[in-house]
Amino acid sequence: MVTYEVNVMGSGFSYALAIAKKDLITQMRKRFEAFSMFLFAIIAVFVLGLVLFSSTFIIADSPTRIQVMTEIGSGMLWVVVFFTGMFGFSPVFISESETGTLKGLSLAPIPGWSVYLGKVIYGFLLMGLVEIFLVPIAMGLLGFAFSPEISPLFILITFALGTLDLAAVGAMASALTMPAESKATVYPIVYFPTATTALILLVEITRMLAIGLPIIGPGILELLILLSGHVFAMVMLSAAVFQFTLTA
Amino acid sequence: MKLNCNHNVHIDVYHRIEPSKGREEVNTKRVTLYILTLVITFVYLYMVWIFAPPEVNLGERIRIFFQHVAPALIGYLAFGVTLVCGVLYLWKQDLRYDLVGAASIKIGLVFTTITLLSGMIWANASWGVYWNWDPRETTTLILWIAYACLIAYRASVNDRDVRAQYGSIFGIVAFPAVILSYISIRVWETLHPIVITGEGLQMGAEHGMTLMLSLIAIGLVYALILELTYRIDSVSERLMELRMQRSE
Repeated sequence: MVTYEVNVMGSGFSYALAIAKKDLITQMRKRFEAFSMFLFAIIAVFVLGLVLFSSTFIIADSPTRIQVMTEIGSGMLWVVVFFTGMFGFSPVFISESETGTLKGLSLAPIPGWSVYLGKVIYGFLLMGLVEIFLVPIAMGLLGFAFSPEISPLFILITFALGTLDLAAVGAMASALTMPAESKATVYPIVYFPTATTALILLVEITRMLAIGLPIIGPGILELLILLSGHVFAMVMLSAAVFQFTLTA
Repeated sequence: MKLNCNHNVHIDVYHRIEPSKGREEVNTKRVTLYILTLVITFVYLYMVWIFAPPEVNLGERIRIFFQHVAPALIGYLAFGVTLVCGVLYLWKQDLRYDLVGAASIKIGLVFTTITLLSGMIWANASWGVYWNWDPRETTTLILWIAYACLIAYRASVNDRDVRAQYGSIFGIVAFPAVILSYISIRVWETLHPIVITGEGLQMGAEHGMTLMLSLIAIGLVYALILELTYRIDSVSERLMELRMQRSE
């Protein structure tokens, strides 16, 4: 008798990567979504930078201004990423639902969590691509820089965790918005409250990285662990219940 | 039992609530709950306003404390009930769990509103401002917004079964906001006092007794309102069902 061993976890991840690859190829063909996200982010940074510059004009020659720009600017960067996420993450499932391809995904002989994970990977890569261009521009326009005493590795980890968290929440919010009446109105009320937790943690961590607080000790490390816990909780919870969005 | 038709689900819910047990037996239990809640609520009012002595540092302001902590913890419990009911609905596909979970959101929101308002009064008395973006205040406000959005989201989905399915999922993925609100005073530097620690309650015996009784009283009020809301919502579902049957 021949027995077949199926590595569900391994194949589930390969399915997730295949879905992410499919979405990325579709995105590269269309191009406008990533470019629109980037343009929106630049406009938001420009407006916020202008307001920040005008508001601190009275202390233009004071060292206080650099401190103010560093503390506020670093937080504003995540506010821009948070709102840009709306453009990037909302079509993740809604477009599949509208074009009828979601039926195909739900009928495919693959675990539900791999569909969700594939969309998270796609959202993460899409937003990561936008951030590569956005962050240096935002640092210039919002007038802040990361402290040279901080290792670039910690900055990279923060951005990776933050983007992953927003992608995990954004993909789930998109799935939850599918059956709603007015999708454009409903998406923000699902995405904002669940993503705000990540936003608060990211604003705080990035501010600490910009002013150069020590990594070890109370502060950055504790918040990074909390952020990792939130990413883990959101990905695991969403992956565990995602199957039910396909069977409704 | 999985039912395919909305009509059957609603009729089934109605019949499971009322005729399955003798009406007299159910009514006796209800009356017992009402009387018990009334008696304990009067004892709670006596202990809060007369029995509990003024605290050394807080003075008479300690009386706000009991009406702040108990609703906060029962609010967390209410959202926990929504989480458990969400899991049970996805598992059993029984609409009763959705009705209880949805009712618990509304009551949890009321208790969280009381928590925020009593916290603002206390903050003004202690710190001189109603709102100062303390981590506990901020995370509790996020919690309130998240569950208010969940109510709005549920209203945006018309199909009854889909609303139950997706509402349950949202109720599950929104729960990390409760955990963040609870642990916020342990993670961030805050002015908010930490009363419940690993070593027990950090207060005198009289105050500890009053807090315990306030938890029991508010818990009973929660149970009573939950039971009433569940009954009203079940009958409301049945009415909607009859209207739909008549219009066909």
